[in-house]
Amino acid sequence: MSPSVTLALVTLAAPLGAALISVVIPPLRHRGVPAALLTLVGSVLATGAAATLVLQDVAGQAVRATVPWLVVQGRGLGEVGVRLDAVSVPMLAVVCLVALAVQVYSVAYMHGETPRSYGRYFAYHALFLFSMNALVLAPDLLQAFAGWELVGLVSYLLIGFHFDRPSAARAAVKAFWMTKLADMGFLFALLLLFARTGAFSWDVALRPEVAEATAALVFLAVMGKSAQFPLHVWLPDAMEGPTPVSALLHAATMVAAGVYLVVRADPLFAQAPWVQGGMLWIGTITAVFAALLGLVQTDIKRVLAYSTCSQLGFMVAALGAGSAFAGFFHLGTHAFFKALLFLGAGSVIHAVHSNYLSDMGGLGRKMPVTAVTFAAGALSLSGIPPFAGFASKDAILTAVEGWAGWVPWALLLATAFLTAFYMGRVLVLTFLGKPSAAAAHAHESPAVMTGPLVVLAIPTVAGGFLGPWLARGLGTELHLHLGRTPVLASVAALGGLALSVALYGRGREAPLAATLAALDRASLVDRVWAFGYRGVLLPLSGVLRWVDRYLVDGLMNGLGWGTLEAGAAVRPLQTGRVRDYALAVVLGALALLVLGAWR
Amino acid sequence: MTLRALLLVATALFSVGIYGLLTRRQAVALLLSIEVMANAANLVFVAFARYGGAPGHPLVLFALAVTVAEVAVGLALVLLLYRRHGDTLLELASEAKG
Repeated sequence: MSPSVTLALVTLAAPLGAALISVVIPPLRHRGVPAALLTLVGSVLATGAAATLVLQDVAGQAVRATVPWLVVQGRGLGEVGVRLDAVSVPMLAVVCLVALAVQVYSVAYMHGETPRSYGRYFAYHALFLFSMNALVLAPDLLQAFAGWELVGLVSYLLIGFHFDRPSAARAAVKAFWMTKLADMGFLFALLLLFARTGAFSWDVALRPEVAEATAALVFLAVMGKSAQFPLHVWLPDAMEGPTPVSALLHAATMVAAGVYLVVRADPLFAQAPWVQGGMLWIGTITAVFAALLGLVQTDIKRVLAYSTCSQLGFMVAALGAGSAFAGFFHLGTHAFFKALLFLGAGSVIHAVHSNYLSDMGGLGRKMPVTAVTFAAGALSLSGIPPFAGFASKDAILTAVEGWAGWVPWALLLATAFLTAFYMGRVLVLTFLGKPSAAAAHAHESPAVMTGPLVVLAIPTVAGGFLGPWLARGLGTELHLHLGRTPVLASVAALGGLALSVALYGRGREAPLAATLAALDRASLVDRVWAFGYRGVLLPLSGVLRWVDRYLVDGLMNGLGWGTLEAGAAVRPLQTGRVRDYALAVVLGALALLVLGAWR
Repeated sequence: MTLRALLLVATALFSVGIYGLLTRRQAVALLLSIEVMANAANLVFVAFARYGGAPGHPLVLFALAVTVAEVAVGLALVLLLYRRHGDTLLELASEAKG
């Protein structure tokens, strides 16, 4: 086993070990702190291994180490193992680093929980890191599916972490429902792929229609996991989970798994131009739609949730335009700055004990570290040069240039403007202006919380310079040029930011805000899904229940009843009188006699 | 005596047996009827052995032995019927009713 494979296995084994130990030895979990320590040790080991892999530049030489799985007649149906290359290694590093930062942050953020909840929280985190790494390192689609479902499970558990709160329980179930609905696509894609090729490999040449069907099914799962319109409705509700969870799962890593999957399965999607066209449009629509709703949210976490949706739309649009690199690049930078933004928001929420922007304000002076790092994240998200977000967003805009009559390009450019606008709004309402009553006595969070913010701020600011390295690994090149797109994107971002600061700095509302807020309250997409659930799925289940109870069961019950009745009907034949039997014998003998004589 | 006459006697005996079997109410009479029928059959065997050239004698001896055993079992049943019900009327034995 080569050293790089050993390191990759460490990134799986360390968090899995932490999770298993926490699970099978309840006292560790119930005391809280030991489970947290275990998880942190596991994450530190995993992060160390991942960082070593990056520094070794394993990306240059792709490594596969697998063992056959589900061996039937001497042949494995699938493989488990690790695959290290220019896609999985950077992703692994991003996941481990963000997870470690979030876990360190959680040590302080979650200290108010009971020891039992505290331990449970960290056990979930360890399980998440293992699942995510298993997905990232998956050598084929089968293991990816296993990891995919596991992160979905952990997402459910962590959204519903405060399961005694009805809204959290509902949000968890909603997220589970929506993503499972989409995951059916993944399952059918696996079946289709296996039926056609007898394996679950990422890169196979398929007949065009099969490739389109498989890619479309996989993309359905991606839409669910990466919260693409119209399957995005679970993501804003997922903010019911603790804020660090939102940072890790529902912003930085898990929701980006969909994008990662498409990058990973690039050979498949490259054979499916129709699906790519659909991705371009769905990504664009998601980006615009979510950004519009992000403008009017009053809950700071929901603003960030919609911005996550919107940014994922950017990535999917880039993938649809055939640029796996641009999508992947934005996935990486987004992971850092969005984790930073969520953790910063958590720091603010921790200080003012409220999620609402109206309870904040004027926190810049009271919480300088949070304010500066959050601002760095916001500027990066807005795409202000030279922050990381600018570089990756520019890569996406360049990638979609000229596609589909420039419409997606124009819409995404407008979305970049909107992004800067709503982030400017959050910055102003949170950190500038007069403090509200709740914010009057706020103070800076402890170093355990600000430390991760500072660490994440570094790639948030400078991560863009990793672009060329990443591009080389993916076999393309990133040209930093001063063309139409970067200039327009910068102008849009700066304009949006300036405009919103000018508006909200004076306490005004944006034009159309009332209309958008009404639209948001109406939550039309939610209603469609709710109707689908209550109006279609439940009645259909009712019909099926009727069929099961009265047709399937009825058939069986009828069979039993008929047997009993038939038995009762022939029972009088047995009179119990010897003479009757004798008569029967005699008659029988006579009949035989007659029959014999007759023939 | 001809074969025909012997067969006619045997048939008559058999019919008497059946008549008794179907009409008598007493278990002992039933057994007697069965005996009569069995002996009708024996008579046929012997008749064919005498006039038809078929070697029927051994079978008759064998059938006699079986009939004795059958009567032993039948009488035991009758005895049980009597012990149980104080009479040997056949109607009393109706436990096999469905």
